[in-house]
Amino acid sequence: MAGVWVLAENRDLTIELLNIGRDLADKVSARLTAFLPGDRDRGQEYIDCGADEVLVLPALNPEQTVDAYIPVIVDEGRREQPDIFLLSGTLRGRELAARIAARLDTGLCSQCTALNIDEKTGLLVMERLIFGGAGIQKVVCQTRPQMATIAPRTFEPARRQNREGKIRELPASPESAVKILERKPKDRAAGSITEAKVIICVGRGIEKQEDLALVNKLAAATGGEIGCTRPIAEELHWMPEDTCIGLSGKQVKPELYIGVGISGQIQHITGIRDAKVICAVNNDDQAPIFDAADYGIVGNLYEVLPELTRQLEKITNK
Amino acid sequence: MATDYAPSMQQAGVGSLHEKKGDVGMDFKLTEEQELIRANMREFARQYVDPIAVEIDENSRYPAEVMAKLAEGDWMGMPYPQEYGGAGVDYVTYACVIEELSRSCAATGFTLSCHTGLASGPIYYFGTETQKQKYLAPLCKGQHIGAFALTEPGAGTDVGAGSTTAVLDGDEYVLNGTKTFTSNGPVADTFVIFAVTDKAAGTKGMSAFIVSKDTPGLKVGEHFMKMGIRASQTSEIILHDCRVPKENLLGKEGQGFRIAMQTLDNGRIGVAAQAVGIAQAALDESISYSKQRIQFGKPISKNQAIQWMLADMATDIAAARFLTYYAAYLKDQGQPYSKEASMAKLFAAEMASRHTSKAVQIHGGYGYVKGQKVERLMRDAKITEIYEGTSEAQRMVIAGSILR
Amino acid sequence: MLNIVTCFKWVIDEAYIKVGASRELDLEWADYKLSDYDRNAIEEAMRIADIEGGTVTAVTVGSSDATKGIKDALSRGPEKAIFINDPAFTDLEPSQTASLLAEVIASRLQYDLIICGEGSSDLYAQQVGPRLAELLDIPCIAFVSKLDIKERQVIAERKMEDGIEVVTAPLPALVTVLPDINSPRIPGLKDTLGAAKKSVISIGKEELTGMAKPHLETTAIEAATMERHCIKFNPDAEGIKQFVDALLKEGVMG
Repeated sequence: MAGVWVLAENRDLTIELLNIGRDLADKVSARLTAFLPGDRDRGQEYIDCGADEVLVLPALNPEQTVDAYIPVIVDEGRREQPDIFLLSGTLRGRELAARIAARLDTGLCSQCTALNIDEKTGLLVMERLIFGGAGIQKVVCQTRPQMATIAPRTFEPARRQNREGKIRELPASPESAVKILERKPKDRAAGSITEAKVIICVGRGIEKQEDLALVNKLAAATGGEIGCTRPIAEELHWMPEDTCIGLSGKQVKPELYIGVGISGQIQHITGIRDAKVICAVNNDDQAPIFDAADYGIVGNLYEVLPELTRQLEKITNK
Repeated sequence: MATDYAPSMQQAGVGSLHEKKGDVGMDFKLTEEQELIRANMREFARQYVDPIAVEIDENSRYPAEVMAKLAEGDWMGMPYPQEYGGAGVDYVTYACVIEELSRSCAATGFTLSCHTGLASGPIYYFGTETQKQKYLAPLCKGQHIGAFALTEPGAGTDVGAGSTTAVLDGDEYVLNGTKTFTSNGPVADTFVIFAVTDKAAGTKGMSAFIVSKDTPGLKVGEHFMKMGIRASQTSEIILHDCRVPKENLLGKEGQGFRIAMQTLDNGRIGVAAQAVGIAQAALDESISYSKQRIQFGKPISKNQAIQWMLADMATDIAAARFLTYYAAYLKDQGQPYSKEASMAKLFAAEMASRHTSKAVQIHGGYGYVKGQKVERLMRDAKITEIYEGTSEAQRMVIAGSILR
Repeated sequence: MLNIVTCFKWVIDEAYIKVGASRELDLEWADYKLSDYDRNAIEEAMRIADIEGGTVTAVTVGSSDATKGIKDALSRGPEKAIFINDPAFTDLEPSQTASLLAEVIASRLQYDLIICGEGSSDLYAQQVGPRLAELLDIPCIAFVSKLDIKERQVIAERKMEDGIEVVTAPLPALVTVLPDINSPRIPGLKDTLGAAKKSVISIGKEELTGMAKPHLETTAIEAATMERHCIKFNPDAEGIKQFVDALLKEGVMG
């Protein structure tokens, strides 16, 4: 029997994949299977969120990386012959997906932005961005499983209902040759920009690092998080790199995005294309960001930001 | 950002997209090496020159840090043989590089072409082996900067009217006089200086000398604050009993005028390429501005008035580029190229002046504001009609050649 | 002495892509470039070779259009190149590229370390490196931002979403590198001229066991569109008020 598999490195991402996975499984009348690394207790939650079966991957030694799971997953794949296999497109997920696809000798659609079942052929039609975000490539996969990685937050999380399903433990993995020497977790003082409802994003139009204070005030007035373009993080080091938005940084989908002093290179625009409302403040009225924006203010941001902050504070204080 | 600029001659419309017709008489395609070198210079200019172009223009500052980077990448002795530290590339490549550098900053492009064409050129073509080892090699390696001192307060286009003198005294020539508008003058280590050794012989009485900056009696005079190419350093050079060793005579006594003329022929290719680069930058800016600027509810690029300006600009740039590369090609082939170099310089300079002015027009009020690239381009373009032979002097050369 | 292999791709420069009248991508005028991330891969290979000693071989798969790309790659330092070259080797999908690379690298090269870019700047599928490691059956460390070799062990920092992971694996191994691992050089004039004199081994389809069929089939490529209002306001108090009102109407405030 055909199956739809989902694998993500944590709970939240698994719940997202379960939502789209359930949808696809219903369309092709297949069972939905979720992998659960380590923590067996969460099995029922995954079932409640749509899984028919949960495959528990035994916890790894602390110095092992997730790639140790590859042989177990591949063995299971050969045995069960799933039809569709979706992985969360985190960095680890993308590496894992490519390596599993190589071992199963099948195709993989990387960072899929939309997927659907073609009613005639029953094939999974997958879309993804190419050429730095300038093009959309539509692909189908001729071999099984049809694999895709999906960027976090592409789909809503699944809702929990009372459901029944099976929980099965997979055998322990052999050790991987890659070993972890050290983990340096990130300081998480601020919230993550990928989860923010409002993002104020700064670009090269900001002249000095001190001027970020203006942006902080605007962020406070809107209850938003601050992101930045690549040069601000990588060349000027004014902001941490994990706040970098764009094709090679974070893909975000806030309700409101306000770009401040951002010219709007395609690589950056690609990272914000799913924002509900895009706004821009820039003194250069020919900046490409205005083409990608719903609302723009053309003017000196050192004059615009204080006034904008003042007006927004009035509203939010009401 | 993307521009509509075709990066190679192939893409300028004569190329591989169409069926090959066997052996053709003309090949407009750059070689892969030439295309790569052009792309590398574009990237170099984008990385090191664009960020400082406004500032060095405003402050009339010599971009020493860029010149050091140019030396590091072997860009300082492009056409000269590797044995002197050069790279030994052809003049078409040289023209491509000057064009790309000038597209970001005409002053930096000119500083390099003045160093390479005007100062190093005569030493390479007329110098003895000893002179080449001693003076050309450090120039090619970028350890030294070169300048060319020909113009005098009373002798511009009329080169023969020069009044700087050189008198042989024992083993040394004693130079006296004042040179003006000497490009690279304030920063040069090595000068090629022209002086009269035999007043009675007219243009045949002029000679050329290689002079080190630390030679007693050589003084850098007034620095000129210019309208354009402001980062290029220009000054007077004052010679007061400046004693130059006899072995620093370049070529023979009396060969100075010939050396100067041949050097200027050569230099014209550099100025033409510089003008093409300036005009290309004006087109790049105009295309991107006109697509973004909304007036009366649509981008101004939708207006025929703007479209025609852009079309004329693109056409003239293509024509000037072909003329420039053709002159360079003739030189590479060892054929006479003086007329073609003059044509290229004349046409490229005048079209650059015309179209940078149009570019300001397209930008409207925004183009008239300091710090806008088109404003700088317009000021930078003007000089290409003046130095290394005015447009009028080019017409004299061309007329002289076709009326012969 | 390390034998380092670095893989690169000659790709369409996305800066030149235009959108045609019926929303199709017009690639006719597009120019090509060395994929951005592969510049970092080559630079890192050269850096490691400078420190550890060794040779760097650059490998690519493509049609004869890529000859310029080989010169570009060689001008960045590697001493020789292998060109897996056939008219059929264009528009390959990652599994095919990886299998061609694997066959040639396994059969013709000594290798201790293979360095790839994290992805290509055209497709950005980020698969070829990890797939190649699997086909060669060697350890794989993707998304590396800092790389060292110590006693035939790779020590690599990978930048993950939740922090930095310092990992190690024995050689031979494959790493894919992030753009912030180094600043790729801009080749100087003599580097480009010297590249033409370096050795390039060309391997055609007939010398290989055959090309695998594609798993993925591209059914369409179209221009990505963003439908946005594109309304601009003045920078004065009145304009900013209109701007704020627009946000309120959209329901994205509070």
